[in-house]
Amino acid sequence: MKKSSPLLKTLAVGALASVVVLSGCGSNKENAGSNASNGGSGSADKAVNLKIMWWGSDVRHEATQKALGLYTAANPKVTFTPEYTNWDGYWQKLPTLAASKTLPDIMQMDAAYIQGYVKRGLLADLSDIDLSGIVDEQVIENIKIDGKVYGIPLSYNGQGMVYDKVALEEAGITLPTNNWTWEDFFAYAEEARAKLPKDKYPIDDLRNIWEWYQFYQTSKGLGPIFKDGTTFNLDKDTWFEFNEKYAEFQKAGIVPPADLQLSSKENDPQTDTFGTGRVMLRGASVGSATAIEALLPGGRIAVNSYPIGEAGGGWAQSTIFFSVSEGSSNKAQAKEFIKWFISNEEAGKTLGTVRGIPINNDILQSIEGSLTAGEQLGIDLLNAAKPKALPFYPAPAGAEDFVSTYKSEMESVMFGQNSLEKVYETLVEKGKAAEAKLK
Amino acid sequence: MFGRKSGSGKRFQHNTAGYLFISPWLIGFLLLTLWPILQSLYLSFTEYSLLDSPVWVGTDNYSTITTSDRLFVKSLVVTFTFVLFAVPIKLLFSLLVAMLLNKNVKGMSIYRTLIYFPSLIGGSIAVAALWRNMFGLEGYINHILSWFGIQGIGWIANPDTALGTLILLNAWQFGSTMVIFLAGLKQIPKDLYESASVDGAGAFRKFYNITLPMLSPVMFFNLVLGIINAFQMFTSAFVITSGGPANSTYMYVLFLYEKAFRQYQMGYASALAWILLLIIGVFTLINFTVSKYWVHYEAEGGKSR
Repeated sequence: MKKSSPLLKTLAVGALASVVVLSGCGSNKENAGSNASNGGSGSADKAVNLKIMWWGSDVRHEATQKALGLYTAANPKVTFTPEYTNWDGYWQKLPTLAASKTLPDIMQMDAAYIQGYVKRGLLADLSDIDLSGIVDEQVIENIKIDGKVYGIPLSYNGQGMVYDKVALEEAGITLPTNNWTWEDFFAYAEEARAKLPKDKYPIDDLRNIWEWYQFYQTSKGLGPIFKDGTTFNLDKDTWFEFNEKYAEFQKAGIVPPADLQLSSKENDPQTDTFGTGRVMLRGASVGSATAIEALLPGGRIAVNSYPIGEAGGGWAQSTIFFSVSEGSSNKAQAKEFIKWFISNEEAGKTLGTVRGIPINNDILQSIEGSLTAGEQLGIDLLNAAKPKALPFYPAPAGAEDFVSTYKSEMESVMFGQNSLEKVYETLVEKGKAAEAKLK
Repeated sequence: MFGRKSGSGKRFQHNTAGYLFISPWLIGFLLLTLWPILQSLYLSFTEYSLLDSPVWVGTDNYSTITTSDRLFVKSLVVTFTFVLFAVPIKLLFSLLVAMLLNKNVKGMSIYRTLIYFPSLIGGSIAVAALWRNMFGLEGYINHILSWFGIQGIGWIANPDTALGTLILLNAWQFGSTMVIFLAGLKQIPKDLYESASVDGAGAFRKFYNITLPMLSPVMFFNLVLGIINAFQMFTSAFVITSGGPANSTYMYVLFLYEKAFRQYQMGYASALAWILLLIIGVFTLINFTVSKYWVHYEAEGGKSR
């Protein structure tokens, strides 16, 4: 060895260094290869590791991890690699994973996005999971896409309203009632303005949120802004009527001034106008009930339905699903796990209402005795929303530009920098552009 | 062939060894930097939603951006306004602080540390969140204003003041620029000032005729970096205002980000990135061209201009 050439030495060192660097990439590829070779033939008694991803808050993360632990304890051959983030990060990460064909075995899906993933063949058909006695048949019927189930619903969600009952009663304002009309809603706002102190407001100014207007349009039976998820359908007269009403309200001080309104971040204890007691009434989803209850604790909050029209109002249905990746090699185990997730009583107790009101009525009944005030508020919201609920109309994938334009243009109207006529033209232009993409 | 001792073989040996030693970096650069750059150039000519494979559309993205995208124009206006104000204000402010900290006062190093300290956390999310609370409607700034009977406004929720607030935040993150200025000031020979004093020059005269010219290379460096960084401003606009209200803080990079990760138009976003590169490139080029006329390098001697 004395005579070993310096070149060989350097070669060896260099090679070692590059091996260290490259090993990161290499091992990934190996995994991908071995996964592919197992493709589809996963037998239930083989040890598997399921990748699972979801979005949510810390409470949801902790509860879900506990539930995963329960499952592994009962089925030692199934282990999990969980990954969890907030909503924004999740929808940035998932498309990247889809592009690199490394979607997790099980992923949480949202009603607003599931269509896009199904359309591209990324999700497995889960119709063969037997959900009889676990999930209401009508619910399953509602979530089918082209006659097949691609996401197992985990919970009921819905949209109702919350108001500060104590403050309204103190001021002697007529309390809202379930299934009130939009006229009642506006009348409440006017009455409350006259009776409330000057720095408190009856309702929010949500002109910049496209869904808020859409609720108005759909309740009148005119359909969503994107009919069937494709046709642009912004009703001109209704839109002007709605926004002129709010312009009047802004002048009369019935809604907060624009800078106060835009300072408000939903469910943020410091800025949420409802939480800081500046606005008396606002919309609330079942999923956010716990956060809202924490803003004004101690039973100050009462619930009400959305304002309705001849077609109904608000919405109530499941929006959160578990889906299985079409590319997963462990579909059988994944399906088994999902079924367990919504039917096992212990899992139900662990998970509580971290994803909304459990879809399984037996589970709901088993936890009903131990609900927190926030969870109870969620159930009340759902019950208020259910009777007249309309379907949930998310913005179709491809209409993102329209949505963000709607927000910024309407904000310029709220600050008096732009006229409704001009904004309407811009919106029609953006809507038509989205329509061309959706068809 | 390894055993050969001819001249060319030796050189080969020599070079291979070198390449092998830098190979970890080299491979990293090729795979993780150059390859994505080339890919983004390719993607900028495609329509790519991440979920579907890219579709070649030629220069469609570029022509849409430059001819019919109102947000492109809006974000450029916002970004140029930001650069125009933020860069000079930051330079001026950090130069002033650097000159203050260049004084010979007891315990100066402690002051320096204290003043530099905020910069360590400067560009982070936490500071942006702090700023959001300070300039909010119920924030600290309005609290102080109320002592003087002034009714505050929602600084970051108002389209007229939101961008100004971000410019202020940018100026407040002066630390690293200031340190570079300070190093430059320390480099200036004391005897220049002494002889100027002997000749009867006042403080302003000394600043204008000695400090500024001697500091011009450092100034140039800070200016170039400042402009490049200002064009790429993202964090505070994203965290504090998310581009709003009414798009008044809709920075170019924020626009790019939203196209890519909110609307999944990767091809379009790549084209935007290349346009930004071009803009920054042009500005840097102008900077270097103009620098001939005002940057003074000591090494060039007392070349009279």
